[in-house]
Amino acid sequence: MTFRTRLLLIFSLTVVIAVVFVGAIVSTTTRRAFERLDEQRVAALTAQFRQEFLRRQREIARQVKDIAQADTTRDMVIGLTRPDAGASAYYEAAQPVATAHNLDFLELVSGNGSIVSSAQWPARFDYHEDWVTRRQDWDTQEPFLKREELPSDTALALVAVRMAQVADSKLYVIGGQALDREFLSTFVLPAGMRALLYREPQSVIDASGPVPQTAALAPLINEIRQRRTDLTRTVNWSGDAAGAETFHGIPLIGPDNELMGAFLVGSSRREQVGLERFLRRVEILVAAGGILLAVLVTFWTTARITRPVEALAAGARAVAGGDWHAQVDVRSGDEIGALAAAFNQMTGELLEQRDRLVQAERVAAWRELARRLAHELKNPLFPLQITVENLQRARATHPEQFDEVFRESTATLLAELGILRGIIGRFSDFAKMPPPRLETVDLNGLVRDSLKLFEAQMQAAGVELGLELAPDLRAIQADPSQLGRAVQNLVLNAIDAMPSGGRLTVRTIAKESGVRLEVADTGQGLTQEECDRLFTPYYTTKTHGTGLGLAIVQSVVSDHGGKIAVRSEPGKGATFTIDLH
Amino acid sequence: MRVEMRAAPAALDANTPEASPLAALVFEPLLRLDETGTPQPCLAVSWQHEGTGKRWQFNLRPGVKLHDGTQMTPGDVASALQAALPGLAATANGEAVIIRAERGLSSLLLDLAHTRLVSTGPFRVSAFEPGRRVTLAANQDYWDGRPFLDGIDVQLGRPLRDQLVDLELGKTDFAEIAPADLRRASEHGRAVWSSSPVNLLALQFTPGRAEDPRLREALALAIDRAAMHNVLLQKQGEATAALLPQWLSGYAFAFPAAQDLGRARALAGSLPPAARTLTLTYDPAVRAARSLAERVAVNARDAGLAVQVSSQAAQADVRLVEVRIRSLDAARAMVEVAAALALEAPPFVATTAALYEAEHQLLEGRRVIPLFHLPDLYGAGSRVRVFAPPAVTRLGYWRFDQVWLAVKPSGTAP
Repeated sequence: MTFRTRLLLIFSLTVVIAVVFVGAIVSTTTRRAFERLDEQRVAALTAQFRQEFLRRQREIARQVKDIAQADTTRDMVIGLTRPDAGASAYYEAAQPVATAHNLDFLELVSGNGSIVSSAQWPARFDYHEDWVTRRQDWDTQEPFLKREELPSDTALALVAVRMAQVADSKLYVIGGQALDREFLSTFVLPAGMRALLYREPQSVIDASGPVPQTAALAPLINEIRQRRTDLTRTVNWSGDAAGAETFHGIPLIGPDNELMGAFLVGSSRREQVGLERFLRRVEILVAAGGILLAVLVTFWTTARITRPVEALAAGARAVAGGDWHAQVDVRSGDEIGALAAAFNQMTGELLEQRDRLVQAERVAAWRELARRLAHELKNPLFPLQITVENLQRARATHPEQFDEVFRESTATLLAELGILRGIIGRFSDFAKMPPPRLETVDLNGLVRDSLKLFEAQMQAAGVELGLELAPDLRAIQADPSQLGRAVQNLVLNAIDAMPSGGRLTVRTIAKESGVRLEVADTGQGLTQEECDRLFTPYYTTKTHGTGLGLAIVQSVVSDHGGKIAVRSEPGKGATFTIDLH
Repeated sequence: MRVEMRAAPAALDANTPEASPLAALVFEPLLRLDETGTPQPCLAVSWQHEGTGKRWQFNLRPGVKLHDGTQMTPGDVASALQAALPGLAATANGEAVIIRAERGLSSLLLDLAHTRLVSTGPFRVSAFEPGRRVTLAANQDYWDGRPFLDGIDVQLGRPLRDQLVDLELGKTDFAEIAPADLRRASEHGRAVWSSSPVNLLALQFTPGRAEDPRLREALALAIDRAAMHNVLLQKQGEATAALLPQWLSGYAFAFPAAQDLGRARALAGSLPPAARTLTLTYDPAVRAARSLAERVAVNARDAGLAVQVSSQAAQADVRLVEVRIRSLDAARAMVEVAAALALEAPPFVATTAALYEAEHQLLEGRRVIPLFHLPDLYGAGSRVRVFAPPAVTRLGYWRFDQVWLAVKPSGTAP
């Protein structure tokens, strides 16, 4: 990961975390503020409901009591006792009385429980309301909730019962008001709130009429039905959270402890969710802006920091690639600038040191070459000098034997000159190594052909040959002459390394990327230093030889795009490995 | 005399049903039926027929003048007969009118008694505002003597409630009364006149609806007529399960009218739930119709039927209708009622047993559920007097020629 990417990630992450953290705090604070506000408003509304309920209870009790104590009612009680009149005379009596006393429901029930007149359902005359005759203490009873049957509906009513009595004759006055739309319309509702009235078994109304599709309220109502206590629950009308409402339900309990309905205060969460969504959008915008700013800052910062670093890296790569003249153009005065100056100074010094090293190596090479030449040439020169001195001495002391000596000496001179020519030829060959002419070559065949040349030599030296050629070795592109000479040099080198005999192992291995040739001996082995210098021209560990054999091998392998390596330990022989593609 | 009525006829013809009470004051038939249904002379003083009954001769009352002052002639009567009864051939013959027909005319006298012909009645129309007001003036030349009243001012289209108020306030001398208001009218010392129970209130099922007979029978058995009769109708008229009233047929009691809620519940319970629903509509102009319909719904509810009451339902399953008995002849009345209720026309039978059998067959399918026979009820102001009662006939026609007003001398407290 680049410095620029890392910096960008750090900046972006910092901004996002900061925004999310602040957003979470704001959202939580906002939500709590809304919830507190909702609680206050719901509390105010429920208090309003209880106050209105109590007020209506008192009002209804007063109105029904007035009716029961009215003279007309007393006349009715008396009239009901007359055999010629009966209840039929008062069939329509309830309706005008109910209207006059602002009651939605009014039933006049005779002492035996038979309805004399019903304002809400006139046709129910002569039916019985037996429940009203079961107790006689109605005048002390508070108004209560009652499910009132109507011709086509069932209403929830707050009713009071009072008795009108003349002598032994009684008349029950059952009056009340409906808990309906008009009741709900008395509440002052803040924006976003509404008051619903649930009436058993499944009717829900608001101030404008029946509320459609109230299935979502069913769990709340069921819970109220079971627990008979105030409950607050959130109702999701749809999948959209903005459409959800928080409902506070107050159970409406009848005189026999049965649930008659529930007063539901709904508080819309639309405003809260809307604000939360707005805050979230703001968070996203701020985060996006922050990320954009982070990108810009990152680019600016990296332009200030990483560009010199990248220039330094490019310079280092150039140096690594061999461009020792690479320089970094950084002019800043900060640490990066100092680093760049140090880099430039370093490359300059490296260049000078390399030149000095090259010069030294060149001198050393020349010295080595001179030493090798001196060494190589010294051996033939000494016989040449001796032979010539023998010729001079024979001419001077034994003229009669001069011819014979001359003949022998000239033969020796020619032989030594031949050696000198051979030495010079090998140096000439190494200097004139031609580029390889590639053709398809079977390495196994090439190895076998090369080893045949050394059979007699190996036999003489007591060297045992171990040949492990891979049967599925693929053909390679190579110059057979140069590669053959390389193999021969390695084999010869191995035989030379085992003057007292040993085991020569030649192995070919098929690899995915090409082929491998290994030549291993069981000679005395090499030190690490010897291994490091082994392929240096004119370097040899042997007492004879030009030191060009392995140099030629490395040159051939390198020209074929391959690699050569050696692994050895003193006393454990050496293994040369050539990898070719 | 000031009179108010609910009906608001747009025309004042001799035989328009809506205007029949007024028409009876203005137009007269050849003969009338008395309280027993026996034909009595009116414009005709005598009549006879040949043996086959295909030729009748009606001898006209002499000296009768029309309201325009001209003498009534046999030609006038023959023309009016031809117009009112197109199936007959009526011709003038001297002072008589000859009526011929191809078929036997056994019911001719009934037809003639119910057919008002010419404007010779005790009152003549002096002014008429269609649908609003009729002013009648005494016929000075009435053949049976000038009526006591100088004139009658009839206000048309007055609701029953307004009529009662006007009667209580003394703004009218004669008004129609709903059964529910009967006690109220009586309590204020008003005279109440009534006809015989001539108005049949019945439930009529709409053809093609409520086809399951169990449903119709369940509804019929669920109805508590007694409670409705006692309370809603203030015991006026009679609860019935028959088409013709007891006073007319003599056998109405034989049709059981009692509630049988157990049987009704059993029948309703045998119906699929979706079939236990009915829509009941009523004519708001019919007296106590809404109260009766709602009470029927309450009774039906007890039986397990859901009856929805509406005055607007065009496609109701059942309707609360009122049919008026217009004949004192039971057989003729049966035919008229059956026609009004869209029942199959019964045979014109002569004996009571045959009439009972015919009515039984008409009601067998419960397509019609008779509920009550109600009289026409009228309240008369305190100054109204009748010289020779009744002022309202059994069939509900007005007889104001014998009515007079007791006007207090000026300066006397009312």
